[in-house]
Amino acid sequence: MNAPQRIVQIFLLLALVSPAALIAALTIGSVPRRPLSERAVARMTSTAVFTLVTSLALALAAYVTTGLEPQTWTARQWLTRTGGALQLDLLVDGWSLTFALVAAVISGTVSVFSYRYLHLEKGFVRYFILYACFVLGVQLVALAGSIEVLFAGWELLGLSSSLLIAFFHERRSPVTNAMRVFSIYRVSDAAMLVAAVLIHHRVGSGSLSTLFRAGTLAAIDDTGSMQLTAIAFFILLAAAGKSALVPFSGWLPRAMEGPTPSSAVYYGALSVHAGCYLLWRAGPLIQGSFIAQTLVIVTGLATAVLAALAARVQTNVKSALSYATLTQVGIIVVEIALGFRTLAFVHLIGNACVRLVQFLTAPNVLLDLHGFEGGAGRRARWPRLYAFALQDGGLDVILDTLVVRPFFAIVRAGQRLDERLSGERPIQGPVGRETQP
Amino acid sequence: VISLPVILWLASVFGLPLACVLLSNTRMDSRRLRVVAIVIALFLTVITTLPFFWEPLRGFHIHLPAWVPGTGAVLRVDELSLVLPTLAAGMWLFTIVATPTIVLGADGLRFTAQSTLFTLAAFLTEHPLVLAAAWAGSVTALRGSLMTTRSTKRHAAGRYLNVSTLLFVVGALLITRPTRHGSALELTALGLLVAGAMIRKGIFPAHAWIPALFEHGRLGPAILFSSPQVGTYAIAVLVVPRAPAELLRVVAILSLLTGVYAAAQAIVQRSARRACAYLFVSQSALVMAGLDCTSREALTGALVLWLSSSISFAGLGRCLLVLEARRGELDLGRHHGAYERKPLLAGTFLVLGLCCSGFPGTLGFVGEELLLGGAVAAFPWLGFLIVASSALTGIAVLRMYFALFAGRSREVPMALRATEAAGFVAIVAVVVLTGLIPSPLVRSRESAAESLFTQRVAGRVQAGE
Repeated sequence: MNAPQRIVQIFLLLALVSPAALIAALTIGSVPRRPLSERAVARMTSTAVFTLVTSLALALAAYVTTGLEPQTWTARQWLTRTGGALQLDLLVDGWSLTFALVAAVISGTVSVFSYRYLHLEKGFVRYFILYACFVLGVQLVALAGSIEVLFAGWELLGLSSSLLIAFFHERRSPVTNAMRVFSIYRVSDAAMLVAAVLIHHRVGSGSLSTLFRAGTLAAIDDTGSMQLTAIAFFILLAAAGKSALVPFSGWLPRAMEGPTPSSAVYYGALSVHAGCYLLWRAGPLIQGSFIAQTLVIVTGLATAVLAALAARVQTNVKSALSYATLTQVGIIVVEIALGFRTLAFVHLIGNACVRLVQFLTAPNVLLDLHGFEGGAGRRARWPRLYAFALQDGGLDVILDTLVVRPFFAIVRAGQRLDERLSGERPIQGPVGRETQP
Repeated sequence: VISLPVILWLASVFGLPLACVLLSNTRMDSRRLRVVAIVIALFLTVITTLPFFWEPLRGFHIHLPAWVPGTGAVLRVDELSLVLPTLAAGMWLFTIVATPTIVLGADGLRFTAQSTLFTLAAFLTEHPLVLAAAWAGSVTALRGSLMTTRSTKRHAAGRYLNVSTLLFVVGALLITRPTRHGSALELTALGLLVAGAMIRKGIFPAHAWIPALFEHGRLGPAILFSSPQVGTYAIAVLVVPRAPAELLRVVAILSLLTGVYAAAQAIVQRSARRACAYLFVSQSALVMAGLDCTSREALTGALVLWLSSSISFAGLGRCLLVLEARRGELDLGRHHGAYERKPLLAGTFLVLGLCCSGFPGTLGFVGEELLLGGAVAAFPWLGFLIVASSALTGIAVLRMYFALFAGRSREVPMALRATEAAGFVAIVAVVVLTGLIPSPLVRSRESAAESLFTQRVAGRVQAGE
């Protein structure tokens, strides 16, 4: 490894270590009964974010000035096993470094905003632990060179997002909504895991660059082509869950229960674009399969149309903004499927930055334009279309009817059977039992 | 020839919990007894880690005289059993440290010491009769704890345990009879052993007793009985080397289905104890599935998942016990608001629960990743049930977390005791550190899997396959 490579590698490791160290520091600091002061938390967070942004900026500068070639680096041979190694691979190219740097800058902006927004809030430290998990997650997603790293980042994003939606957990509604969002994220995670296993079977390792190159190979036998289509399908499913694409877009307004800074960074700027970034990375694979390409285009278009309609009938500014973001996300997905990768990337970065500013300034806009919330959705010329848009195309109802209710009906039948098998009465209503410690 | 270090080591391993059993029958003050028990359990944990570092203890086998029926070492420490005594001893230590004083008492100490003693005996033998005796002993210890409960519904669990013990003992007796590999007698014996282990581990359709045991029995002894997974060990040493592939495939498929079914059940339970029990059944079933997939990778995954699920499940159960001691029964239909008073407990619950669902950065992820690869290779479609199980487990865990820790707290302010907090921090540290640096543990499990696999291949060659 030559000197420029070594320098970029050191900066990248520093970038990943800083949010991880922040998680560790805040978690360990929370163990004693006396909580960390807000000032201490803010200082630690600022230091970590500053280190992150600086090291990524320097890594990008070093990458550009030394003219390094795009490459995958094995940061660590994490686990060797019989069926092949699990590696911590980082993908180093201009795109991944740019996305990571933009994500770091956005995260930094939100952290500064959050200090004031959450001042004297009971869950101040908890918020920043989850925020640090998010920062680490998004950096892992941005720099992932192997499916294992991508999956780790993906899971961190999902978990921190759900726990932040339930941030005000004294109330029931945020918790209920967080549970719903988490359930959809789990579907997305499961799809990602299935894709991971298929990738291992296809390319013999979890290397994303090998796989995405494989998609562009001209000669692929039928079995291989089917496998690649299956991988592309599961990647689309994973992206759809995380980016609220159709048919999962119903969770987006539910996610607005969290604090505004977290809504800004998750559903305005980064998390909602994580699925797009994944699809963007998998672009060559998607374009290698006609079925996958068509599916992605249809999903993107449906999302864009539905979100554009829904954005016009929302009665609160955060939901309206989130649907506006989603409209663009749908368009970005279509751009990716059509092969306009540079346009899609620029669109993605631009949309993330614009929506971040809009989300963060939303409370001030409301203050300036009294009555904005009450005014939204007043002109309903086509009541049916209005109702359709307001209910987000009825996707939640469809999912509930086709998936959730049958699932619970089956599981509850099993529950009754189990209670009979163990000689217990079926439980009606609240649990009633003789508890022994 | 038994060397002096081995004799001393064995005397300490079995003598220490035995001393605790004897002491708990005296009139010693309960608090003082607890301190003594903690010291004993601590020593035991240290002693059982010696085989890792001390050459004379690494890899010894002691056989019974030739006139005693049955094959296999009566006492052994090798790659498979290397970490298991430490697991059993560590769980006992954690149980004593993390169980509220009000709950434990002299009775509780006796049950836990007895249970640990029999679990240790089981983990250090491969002789069918000795294993069957340890099996029956641990069931007796659990039944002793059940007798102290007032619930009449404990009998269901007792019946299942009796049947499983009977099947296992008969199977062990039959397998000690000299017979050729693949004979009808051996197949019958293996079938009985598998049936006994399946009941004990709660594999569908013999799973319903575990939630009943957790709900109506004493939670502490139930956790200590279930979490080390003696049934898994019995399958690994007695069945996997001998059983025909068809039998193992059937068990693996049933186990995979149980993994998904139990994880789904955990989502709809209103009782926290039952939900926890179903989570255990799901994890335990996945371990069983891995053992029966007959591939090295799946075996390694199962052995790693065994440790991860045992540790995390023991921790989850203790979290429930700590909460119950302060607020009574836990109904998942409402929010209990425990985060406000016990953020450390909330964090512990979440990390251990996520470990069960295979979250990256925990030991559960490593086990599940290995198991998934091996299972998909063995069952290209059914193997993906592990993914479904993991997704459902994650949902069940977060639902439990929100129900227990979200909301407003109405309890009397009662923080965790220092020993409880130390126990929880330690157990979280174990699952996270082994999850971040898994290689040493995985290497050790891989060589254990390799040895099991070699035994199996030799057995199948003898059987003429």
